[in-house]
Amino acid sequence: MTTSLLDRQATIAPPGFNRFLVPPAALAVHLSIGQAYAFSTFNLPLTKLIGITHSAPGDWDLKEVGWIFSIAIVFLGSSAAVFGRWVERVGPRRSMFTAALCFSGGFLVSAVGIHLHQLWLIYLGYGVLGGCGLGIGYISPVSTLIKWFPDRPGMATGMAIMGFGGGALIAAPLSVMLMDHFKTAASNGVLETFVTMGVIYFMFMMIGVYTVRVPAADWKPAGWTAPAQPKQLVTSANVSVDMAWRTPQFWLLWVVLCMNVTAGIGVLGQASPMIQEIFSGRVTPSAAAGFVGLISLFNMVGRFFWASTSDYIGRRNTYMVFFLLGILLYSAVPTLGHWGSTPLFVAAFCIILSMYGGGFATIPAYLRDMFGTYQVGAIHGRLLTAWSVAGVLGPVLVNYIRQYQIDSGVPKAQAYSVTMYIMCGLLLIGFLCNFAMRAVDENYHYRGSTT
Amino acid sequence: MKGRLVILWAVVGIPLLWGVMKTLQNAMKLFQ
Repeated sequence: MTTSLLDRQATIAPPGFNRFLVPPAALAVHLSIGQAYAFSTFNLPLTKLIGITHSAPGDWDLKEVGWIFSIAIVFLGSSAAVFGRWVERVGPRRSMFTAALCFSGGFLVSAVGIHLHQLWLIYLGYGVLGGCGLGIGYISPVSTLIKWFPDRPGMATGMAIMGFGGGALIAAPLSVMLMDHFKTAASNGVLETFVTMGVIYFMFMMIGVYTVRVPAADWKPAGWTAPAQPKQLVTSANVSVDMAWRTPQFWLLWVVLCMNVTAGIGVLGQASPMIQEIFSGRVTPSAAAGFVGLISLFNMVGRFFWASTSDYIGRRNTYMVFFLLGILLYSAVPTLGHWGSTPLFVAAFCIILSMYGGGFATIPAYLRDMFGTYQVGAIHGRLLTAWSVAGVLGPVLVNYIRQYQIDSGVPKAQAYSVTMYIMCGLLLIGFLCNFAMRAVDENYHYRGSTT
Repeated sequence: MKGRLVILWAVVGIPLLWGVMKTLQNAMKLFQ
């Protein structure tokens, strides 16, 4: 591949190009990087690299291995924030290609780390390099999709970001299958699985690299004209990334995303032990794994459903639904647990997790409504730092409060009640910030050329 | 262009459907 093929100029779509080719290109990237959510399938095997069937002296422990995912998520948020403007400048093809190199390279460097039994190489490989691939890959198709679908921006970005949720559904069984396939008396198959996944994901992401196109500057969907009277809280102006984060709207949206993610991510990480402890003796570990799979599925479906719905009811109203329905459901969870109603408990969490995914998928279109299309990808990148913060805050709240409750003598089945009420408090903060959202002041608008 | 569209959607859709199917199989254990 020559350098010129990667240039933004080389990706401008010819007349008659079908815009529905762009969402699968974005999905090819997001389905790949969504593997990150299934990284935990490698945690136990990575603690048995020497002992093969059990942890032997010299093997890494779970705590050390757990840092790989945390480093990757921190680098996801920070690379999205740092490289957002570069992604906007070079266009989707070069940024997707870079993401493919980083993400696949991360697997290969980690494979070397496994071979040499050097954990720092895995931190560097999957954590730092792979994490940068996650961040760049996550934001690279967003502004392109918004430009291709000015009539349905929520649906378009929802489709791509749904891939990030769906990636885990593919990666979890695929990782297990590959490890089983490569397992020998001398290896538990993790090294070979890392190499194979690095190659598979690189090729899959290249489908997106080759397919993605940006619309010509004067392109519009056939028969569509921009509404003469823009809807409330939908701007026709543009705000640059450097100006956007000086506006109160950026920080209100930052808190909105952070609160929505915090409420969901803590539950997602603790779902299996939580349902087993609340319904002690009635939910087996294998059924709990089914619960985790089910809420992951709703996390994925919610991304497409809620983002598409936001095109009709508006972004602000969509988040109002997330926060109000979230408060209602979280406050009902302790009662449902007390009643012993597993189906109602599962249904409540399926809806909650659909809104967690919906929050991620609706935010790019919300940013476009507030700041225009000019540098929306870069602004989205900076907003994703809220995810990094929520990624620490959510699990800490759920785990520490549960432990504090148990240490204070509260039965395990009731140890989550206080956490659920705290989640309601967080959602209330999000609701108030969303309620306070107003159009960006004209002083912040960008007056230069946006082409 | 239409053929390309179908192929591309199949390339991303089939692995996704496989993942969804595997997840649903696993989720069934919750109600057994």
